[in-house]
Amino acid sequence: MLGRIRREAEKITINGSGIQGAQSISAQYDSVGGSPLRNLGINEIQYAPEGPQTATLQLDTLLTHTLSSGGYGYTSVDTMQNFTGDVPFSGIIDYGTENLYFTQAYLETYSVSCSIGEIPQSSTTSVIFGDLGTGLFDSWNTGTFLDPISETVPDLNVTSYNSMDVNLDEFSTNRMTSFSVDIATPRVPIYVTNNDKPTKVVPGTPIEVNVNFSLDIDDYKIKNMRFVPEQTVFKDTTITLKKNNSDVELLRYSFNNMLLTSESFQAEVDSNAGINFNLRSFILR
Amino acid sequence: MATVFYDKAVVEVRLGDQKEQLLASDCSLNYTASQQPLYAIGTKGSLGQFPSAARAGDVSFSFLTSITGNFFGYKGNIINTLASGIKNNVTNGSETSGVEIKFAGVSGSGFLTSYGLGVAANSVSSSNASFSFFGSGDQLPFSGRLAPADGVVIDSDGVEGKLATGIAHGRYTDLDNFATVLTDPADTANVFGAEYSLSLNYNPIYKVGQEFPATCLYTNAQESVTITEDVFNSGLPFEGLGNQQLTLTVSGLPAIIPGLVTPVIHYPGMEIGISGYKIVSTSMSAGLDDIVRTQKTLTAAY
Repeated sequence: MLGRIRREAEKITINGSGIQGAQSISAQYDSVGGSPLRNLGINEIQYAPEGPQTATLQLDTLLTHTLSSGGYGYTSVDTMQNFTGDVPFSGIIDYGTENLYFTQAYLETYSVSCSIGEIPQSSTTSVIFGDLGTGLFDSWNTGTFLDPISETVPDLNVTSYNSMDVNLDEFSTNRMTSFSVDIATPRVPIYVTNNDKPTKVVPGTPIEVNVNFSLDIDDYKIKNMRFVPEQTVFKDTTITLKKNNSDVELLRYSFNNMLLTSESFQAEVDSNAGINFNLRSFILR
Repeated sequence: MATVFYDKAVVEVRLGDQKEQLLASDCSLNYTASQQPLYAIGTKGSLGQFPSAARAGDVSFSFLTSITGNFFGYKGNIINTLASGIKNNVTNGSETSGVEIKFAGVSGSGFLTSYGLGVAANSVSSSNASFSFFGSGDQLPFSGRLAPADGVVIDSDGVEGKLATGIAHGRYTDLDNFATVLTDPADTANVFGAEYSLSLNYNPIYKVGQEFPATCLYTNAQESVTITEDVFNSGLPFEGLGNQQLTLTVSGLPAIIPGLVTPVIHYPGMEIGISGYKIVSTSMSAGLDDIVRTQKTLTAAY
């Protein structure tokens, strides 16, 4: 009989933490031998790995659950934000009765976004330098930290657009309608001969941070595009996500000396005039 | 008109009674007849152009480093066997004969003048070779005409698509014997890749009365291997160390043979013996978004 697997039979666990509020999960690898070897007088098709084998993991979650602050060796209550540093992670994706394992994953992008009427959502992409697939891996540690049986379930703490703080001085007369924070954490794998996995993954530097805001404007003044150096704008930005309908702070994104890099103006017949602007900064590790 | 697509442009090397079709990715053949204009006092134009040297040619090609062959006891490919044989040729008075090279219907007897290979992490290894064609006696450097030639299947088992188990690959090549090892404090390098090159020199002997050489003598050879790693040795020796010997072994994907107790079979790699080498240079360099990589070059002469 044909069956199907729906969301109630799917689960992702990362370093022993069950990820809650997941909206979409995508894991993918490409065989590096996808093109045949070619030669003059080619008379047979042969394949060989051409380049390192890696996989990618994409995970989108609503920020509805948080870890205990400071627990399990984490500094952030958002599981995925803890991997913007140089620590890799492993995990399991359960679907039906099958398990998809992955090891030695490194976060490459971490984004948080929210618009009016939404629950803030985080999106991450990670590159997997270890293994991805079903079956047993030599490197798979079945100790308690990675054992899904003993997984940690984060607490229910729903963040919301109506209980967040943004400390940008544009908002007294202009209304923010959405924001996004995008953090890119580059990775540099180091491969040696006689090994298909990197001997080391160097955390690249600098980390690029982009913060984007959309405003319904009243008296917002767009800067002169030739603003360097007279009107160069640097801003400190802090976005605080709180528990829904409360003042309990859950997550804080704070960046100093962000450079205003772009502004755009939109006007349409059936909507308010709006401004989008981007702040960018680079953080050295 | 002969229209030959690349799938019919086989490069084949015959050494004695053994031959191998190489997995060449490119090949070029050049044939030259040197002509020199002559001038004389009293005439305005040239008297004509006259031959100033014997006709000669060369063939150079790059190829995937195949290691499926077994030629005269050497595992690897026929070019490696040829190179090893020539550079260690000290017993027969250095008189040498060429090997037959065929390329898309054109063939000749060539002398290996250079050979090299590169191997890097997670990459298919590539080699290159060049031959000079002097001709011999009444034999022209090249003969034949451009014509299609079918390639042969290396390991014919009727399977359309399969893994290339006979191709050297950085994933399976162990170069740890080339790693720089330092003491106090102890440090051992990670090896990222190697580039090997060998050049061989010949002296074709011409005599009056015929265009092509009567014989050809092998004179000498130099080889070098450059190792890319991550440890810099500032103690570069002035005189080097005596009687140093290393073997560069490149290996390919293991074969899976169902039914065996241990179904994964690792075939022996191709070996290049480097005798009496000296480390002649070390360097280190850095670029953006990468680690500092070091290089050292070993040379040997024969």
